[in-house]
Amino acid sequence: MTLLRKGPWWLGLAVILMGAVCFYASTELAATAQYAAIGPGMFVAGVGLGLVGLGVLLLIQIARGEVFEPEEAENAAPGQPMDKRAFFTALLAAIVPALTIETLGLPLTAMLSFMLVARAFGSKRLVPDLAAGLVLGVASWFLFGKLGLQLGGFFPLAGM
Amino acid sequence: MDTFALLLHGFDVALTPVNLMWALVGSVLGTAIGILPGIGPALTIALLLPVTVSVGPVSAFIMFAGVLYGAMYGGSTTSILINTPGEAGSMMTALEGNKMARAGRGAAALATAAIGSFVAGTIATLLLTFAAPVVAELAFLLKPADYFALTVLAFTSVAVVMGASRVRGFVSLFIGLALGLVGIDAMTGQPRMTFGIAALLDGVELTVVLVSLFAVGEILYVASRYTYGQDEIIPIKGKAFMTRDDWRRSWKPWLRGTAIGFPIGTIPGGGSEIPTMLSYTLEKKLARHKDEFGKGAIEGVAGPEAANNASAAGILVPLLTLGLPTSATAAILLAAFQNYGLQPGPFLFTSNPELVWGLIASLYIGNAMLLVLNLPLVGMWVRLLQIPRPQLYAGILVFAMIGIWGVSGSVFELGLMAALGMVGYAMRVYGFPIPPLLIGLILVPLAETQLRTALAAGQGRLSVLFDTPISVTFLSLAFLFLFLPVVLKRLKGGA
Repeated sequence: MTLLRKGPWWLGLAVILMGAVCFYASTELAATAQYAAIGPGMFVAGVGLGLVGLGVLLLIQIARGEVFEPEEAENAAPGQPMDKRAFFTALLAAIVPALTIETLGLPLTAMLSFMLVARAFGSKRLVPDLAAGLVLGVASWFLFGKLGLQLGGFFPLAGM
Repeated sequence: MDTFALLLHGFDVALTPVNLMWALVGSVLGTAIGILPGIGPALTIALLLPVTVSVGPVSAFIMFAGVLYGAMYGGSTTSILINTPGEAGSMMTALEGNKMARAGRGAAALATAAIGSFVAGTIATLLLTFAAPVVAELAFLLKPADYFALTVLAFTSVAVVMGASRVRGFVSLFIGLALGLVGIDAMTGQPRMTFGIAALLDGVELTVVLVSLFAVGEILYVASRYTYGQDEIIPIKGKAFMTRDDWRRSWKPWLRGTAIGFPIGTIPGGGSEIPTMLSYTLEKKLARHKDEFGKGAIEGVAGPEAANNASAAGILVPLLTLGLPTSATAAILLAAFQNYGLQPGPFLFTSNPELVWGLIASLYIGNAMLLVLNLPLVGMWVRLLQIPRPQLYAGILVFAMIGIWGVSGSVFELGLMAALGMVGYAMRVYGFPIPPLLIGLILVPLAETQLRTALAAGQGRLSVLFDTPISVTFLSLAFLFLFLPVVLKRLKGGA
């Protein structure tokens, strides 16, 4: 029974929750544009029910002790325990852009994210990493800007 | 029936200096990312999508074709020299190729892989040239119910084939379907599943999802389980190119690999894993020196490599003729078409012959270019692996961010990047395949529109879905696909 309790139950529950959200959304879609039960909500409801069903199947599998084998990836050992510090540092690097891009602009955001990912992978060279990120950010800002992308201000906080 | 004249016109388009330059850019980029870890052809094309703002469709697709083929050449190089197949299609190559390299026959392995890829790519492109217009003609016959059945077949096969478990494959697919339904309903104009968030009215873009799942998810996953021993790159000793005996032993596997790869590539869910596996098994059965298998048999490199490249061209048949993507890369190519307001399908051949035939011609050119780029320059390519991993992954994240910010200009989508990155991380940890999600996301509008049209025409009768022999065939095939894993397990046991 210990195996039972250790399984990733939350996976099945999360899938059921997603299905429930879909299904709930489908009931909100008014039946106004419906013809013979075919409306905008039909497919949404179907997908929602499908997800709920799959979530239940997943729970059954987990109860039976299904083994979830991690995907293979280069430079990673799937069996290795999770390095939480590295994970959260990398996650922070992914969250930073949404927080800073409108104030600090692309080049500085790139600098921060670059440094954080490099740190997550064990780089200890703070200044060279910051510099590399900044160079990459500045170069991209000019190059992709020339190609016609809207990349926002260079450093909006300073009015640039 | 002027396929040949159309193809010649395609060469006219592809051979302009500007387009040759884009083909070269694509081939170089493709080879590089095929060699580098953490970044595949689908992600690369997704990150290149922003250039579609300023580059015309013909040039952009010529570049993407170079990336697609180049990635496969690069993948075989790393399989052979460091035993790390970058993608599922190169797994079989690593089996024999790496053994060959260890035995000092790396140059011969690389050569048979590159020439085999070239031969297969060229023949498969030729087949594509003549098969695609015919399929496009047939596609005119498809009714909404048939089209819906076809998408069901694509969904089922992708969900079944691409992962370790059917349930997880379908979970991934259905999450994709759900994400694809977010936004304004095309048929009634009603917002769906937007939960009052204005940014969701436009729906969730494939680019954002793909980049987040592939780039951010991969970075989170690798960072949390990072092991970095210096990759052991096996040096290419001597100048021992392919010997006469190597040629004699290679040419038949090349042709057989092509014959296996192309048709399977055209089937939804065929992918590149099954044909390479089949080719490997077949070569092992047919080989005169069976004892060499597992120790570096050249047939075991030649066949799968050819099958791999041929299947890549095969993937283009359903994509160009039916608008049906059957892999993550095909899904992003479809998104690229949509960026230009083009809808692949039977009409593409009549409305944009220049684009279609230019693309097909560029595949021939790209193949020739890649052969030149790869064989003599392999030493230079391998040096790419010396980029330190922390900075490599950091660069990938920066490009992911620029890709999403450049396309959407929305902070919301940058936040979505982090959230979906976590989903991608969980999918990797628990072995959920990612391609079904992407294919569900991009195909759900087509599936839903066709279903609703078919049902409306049948006044809500569900049986309308089984009215034509074509739809019944597709739906039965979809049902049969559910049992494929059992067959595959047997095959794997035999390999």
